[in-house]
Amino acid sequence: MFEGAEFYFNVDHGYLEGLVRGCKASLLTQQDYINLVQCETLEDVKIHLQTTDYGNFLANQTNPLTVSKIDTEMRKKLCREFEYFRNHSLEPLSTFFTYMTCGYMIDNVILLMNGALQKKSVKEILVKCHPLGRFTEMEAVNIAETPSDLFNAVLVETPLAPFFQDCMSENTLDELNIELLRNKLYKSYLEAFYKFCKNHGDVTAEIMCPILEFEADRRAFIITLNSFGTELSKDDRETLYPTCGKLYPEGLRLLAQAEDFEQMKRVADHYGVYKPLFEAVGDGSGGKTLEDVFYEREVQMNVLAFNRQFHYGVFYAYTKLKEQEMRNIVWIAECISQRHRTKINSYIPIL
Amino acid sequence: MRAHAGGGTGTGCSRGGGVRPLTARTGAARSRRRPSGPAGAGWPAMGSLFRSETMCLAQLFLQSGTAYECLSALGEKGLVQFRDLNQNVSSFQRKFVGEVKRCEELERILAYLVQEINRADIPLPEGETSPSAPPLKQVLEMQEQLQKLEVELREVTKNKEKLRKNLLELIEYTHMLRVTKTFVKRNVEFEPTYEEFPPLENDSLLDYSCMQRLGAKLGFVSGLINQGKVEAFEKMLWRACKGYTIVTYAELDEPLEDPETGEVIKWYVFLISFWGEQIGHKVKKICDCYHCHVYPYPNTAEERKGIQEGLNTRIQDLYTVLHKTEDYLRQVLCKAAESVYSHVIQVKKMKAIYHMLNMCSFDVTNKCLIAEVWCPEADLHDLRRALEQGSRESGATIPSFMNTIPTKETPPTLIRTNKFTEGFQNIVDAYGVGSYREVNPALFTIITFPFLFAVMFGDFGHGFVMFLFALLLVLNENHPRLNQSQEIMRMFFNGRYILLLMGLFSVYTGLIYNDCFSKSVNLFGSGWNVSAMFSSSHAPAERRKMVLWNDTIVRHSRVLQLDPSVPGVFQGPYPLGIDPIWNLATNRLTFLNSFKMKMSVILGIIHMTFGVILGIFNHLHFRKKFNIYLVSVPELLFMLCIFGYLVFMIVCKWLVYSAETSRVAPSILIEFINMFLFPASETNGLYSGQEHVQRLLLVVTALSVPVLFLGKPLFLLWLHNGRSCFGVSRSGYTLIRKDSEEEVSLLGSQDIEEGNNQMEDGCREMTCEEFNFGEILMTQVIHSIEYCLGCISNTASYLRLWALSLAHAQLSDVLWTMLVRVGLRVDTTYGVLLLLPVIALFAVLTIFILLIMEGLSAFLHAIRLHWVEFQNKFYVGAGTKFVPFSFRLLSSKFSDDVA
Repeated sequence: MFEGAEFYFNVDHGYLEGLVRGCKASLLTQQDYINLVQCETLEDVKIHLQTTDYGNFLANQTNPLTVSKIDTEMRKKLCREFEYFRNHSLEPLSTFFTYMTCGYMIDNVILLMNGALQKKSVKEILVKCHPLGRFTEMEAVNIAETPSDLFNAVLVETPLAPFFQDCMSENTLDELNIELLRNKLYKSYLEAFYKFCKNHGDVTAEIMCPILEFEADRRAFIITLNSFGTELSKDDRETLYPTCGKLYPEGLRLLAQAEDFEQMKRVADHYGVYKPLFEAVGDGSGGKTLEDVFYEREVQMNVLAFNRQFHYGVFYAYTKLKEQEMRNIVWIAECISQRHRTKINSYIPIL
Repeated sequence: MRAHAGGGTGTGCSRGGGVRPLTARTGAARSRRRPSGPAGAGWPAMGSLFRSETMCLAQLFLQSGTAYECLSALGEKGLVQFRDLNQNVSSFQRKFVGEVKRCEELERILAYLVQEINRADIPLPEGETSPSAPPLKQVLEMQEQLQKLEVELREVTKNKEKLRKNLLELIEYTHMLRVTKTFVKRNVEFEPTYEEFPPLENDSLLDYSCMQRLGAKLGFVSGLINQGKVEAFEKMLWRACKGYTIVTYAELDEPLEDPETGEVIKWYVFLISFWGEQIGHKVKKICDCYHCHVYPYPNTAEERKGIQEGLNTRIQDLYTVLHKTEDYLRQVLCKAAESVYSHVIQVKKMKAIYHMLNMCSFDVTNKCLIAEVWCPEADLHDLRRALEQGSRESGATIPSFMNTIPTKETPPTLIRTNKFTEGFQNIVDAYGVGSYREVNPALFTIITFPFLFAVMFGDFGHGFVMFLFALLLVLNENHPRLNQSQEIMRMFFNGRYILLLMGLFSVYTGLIYNDCFSKSVNLFGSGWNVSAMFSSSHAPAERRKMVLWNDTIVRHSRVLQLDPSVPGVFQGPYPLGIDPIWNLATNRLTFLNSFKMKMSVILGIIHMTFGVILGIFNHLHFRKKFNIYLVSVPELLFMLCIFGYLVFMIVCKWLVYSAETSRVAPSILIEFINMFLFPASETNGLYSGQEHVQRLLLVVTALSVPVLFLGKPLFLLWLHNGRSCFGVSRSGYTLIRKDSEEEVSLLGSQDIEEGNNQMEDGCREMTCEEFNFGEILMTQVIHSIEYCLGCISNTASYLRLWALSLAHAQLSDVLWTMLVRVGLRVDTTYGVLLLLPVIALFAVLTIFILLIMEGLSAFLHAIRLHWVEFQNKFYVGAGTKFVPFSFRLLSSKFSDDVA
């Protein structure tokens, strides 16, 4: 891309950017959350959501209303919006959209493989798959025995194919290997996405790179945290870290050596961005979890993405914000339906 | 022969033409003002357009048993606007949320019914009368009935779908069998080895274990696949099974329905032969993945035949069953379709009622609902009656009643309109809904708007066409097709009365301009006599002074000039409008420009002055007399001393100078400029003593400016500071007190004294708190600057009247010369043939360019003149519209939003 793409941006993508900004304005406000939290039953939640931009998206649901029904309908709505964006997009924005869906596709593939391992029927699992990551070949995933099998037979023609280069092995797919596969796929996916944004240049790179860097580092932290107490070796662990983040390379090396949460925290202390996040984490009993802290930071970055114009980051940010909103609504709905109101306020506010 | 009229601008013709529209306009404005004059002074008659209606805030005490019926009665009448008393209660915590939910449930069922009925192509009858909201006792019954219907319908539809799906599967199977037969035949020819294998049994659908049992290594899977997926399917098979499969497929000739989406698409029949059990599993999974419809594959010809026969009989059976089910379904739907319209309306009304009830608050005893409503005072009686009626219907022992309460809040604005005034009111409302009780410009717009439009659209041919079109709309206004027309036609239809008046006024101005499709009409005979210009008819003594014509002059000059000072040439003004002889004159444009320019300035200044005068009515009504002396009067003086004087000069010049003296007439422009410059050299002005008058006017203007800038703020400051001084404070507070008295007058007489004191205290506190001298000064200064500059720029703005009327005249002239004149010049033989298309083209262009395009532009400019130049002199337009709770506002077309 050449400099000053602002001049041409609106020719191709102006309509969609306008649209996504309009959609962003429809995110629930703080007042909406306050009202939602006061709801007594799921019916109340439905009535309140009717007054927002969700409209009567639950109108055709027969009683009784459940959290999963709300969740599915919300996902469908997001999916409809996303499909609309995608169908009206031009290159390179459509490639950007493809990259966005890849993450969900990886999750779906892994979900299906886990399901196959536990001998669950494909139909049952398909319902749980994220609609954004759907693709035709997905259902045939369980015919594969090894990762290379999976690649050769099923995924060679999907956008996921390039991410397989690091994980072609003849290992059988047991639970650990699937998890490793997921992380390796995700690593190369993130790196590829990062490279794409970097090469695209302009405001897109300025906005998307920090977001993806953060995403990569978050994954590195989470992988480290999850690997404590498992048989995963430290070298193996290091191979899973995405290398496009701020932690690369020293931070990742240190992280690979970490043995407990305290050591991990000490690694984070070297970085101005992550130090306050780890300090915000509460201890066991109360306060926020590390995950919540990361989510908050992500929301913050995504909201800031809307301050710049002429870039693709708004689409990514919108999808992520919408997802966060859906997580919030589901959280609140769960709390209401299980009559477990003490923690109802620990949703992540979208500013 | 051509005529050229002599020098001076102010000759007889312009006197006849120019002054006429002026008098007509003021006459028109005055005649509109007269009937509303008394209304402005006292209480307006009901439905007056001059001011919005007086509103009062009423409290309704609705017994909880009768609230529903009362609101139903109110909704039918549409009398009152409810105020939301539970603003901080979120929607799901309100009192009647359960009932609203029930209504939504009913709406959902009805939407489902309508959808099914539409799908079955059954016409939905729409009732003429809208049924009233259902009595509470019937609601349950209705709900039960609808729910039963829904359950039944869902069951029948589900059955039907199942049957259809079954049928489709069977049809697919037969197709598959038919197509695969050809595969096998082909296979048999080339690979006879197939016969060696024992026949595979296929008891159940998708049975692959048979191959296992037989120990055979060859297996078949056959079925149908979506056309679009064939390629990917084959590739995947190839990759996954590493070539241990043979796939044969053929396209099915007839497209079949997809059971999941209901789309009609093309299908492919495929037959996969494979080796080995492992591969069989894979193949099966891949088939699943691509959503293939897999059917068991028969191995022998007999078996195939048997299956086919069995299928055929089953298909026959299914057809009959399906047919019967569909008949039954249709019956059910037909029955439902009869009542669905009234149900939809009823549920809508019910929901609206509960929404309104949600706005009410409960009293302490929980026995009655309290609603606060805005109601026009004129309708209070109706409101009482509606409440009584509601109570009576529900048979309650204690009637619901109402009570008016005083308030200091600004009520909403209600101006009752009829089909005639509605369009004009909409033009005003598009600028801003009037503040409560302020002078409503729509009343004057009814005349001034079409008039100003017509000044720009002056052509009585065009005007008449427009008038006829509007008349057609007006006469057929009850025609259903017009009422339901869309978009552009709807726009014309809504503005039909505006169009009617615009056309009518254009006919009038067209007569004044003497313009009909750019040609003049000689109705009364021209006032100019050409023969008098010949020397023979005059006495020799007179001849010397005048430039007369003789044969040589007539023969040799291209342009001849008529001299009105020659006796007999100008016989007096044309009775109506401009003399048709001007249409022949080469200096026609010069003459018309001078006339139209002066006319537009005169009209503009009268229009604006009228606006300022309306401001006085506002000040009088709102009891702010000081505004009249400190704002309106200086404004008027400023306007009249400069621009009023200009108008005076124009008229004066028309009257004082005749054709003989026209050569010594001073230029108005120079005179007007000299008014401000005081030149040293003495020019002979329009009249004696002109210099002194002008000086006086200038002094008045100069004095009015500081008054305008500082008068009001200083007066308010004086009021504010002089509270302790006896005289001032009294007069100051009586003003405020009168203002509030009006609203308090509804209180009981013994309360008035008390209430008034409180109110006065309140007002005093309010003024104390809000008094901010700087702010008032700033507002006033800004307002004054805007006004003073506006006087100049707005006057110039009215010149658009001249410019647009000129443009219109020129455009229609061009159209005439370029088209019709060309057609008329061709000789008779071809001319007849040519004239028809020429006239057709002329008609089309006249309608599209002159009537629609030019009309639109003149319309927009007329709107602008009203919104900006006229209304900013007095109109605040900061009110809110009165939106009554009325069932009529609910959309009665249910198919739009329900289906």
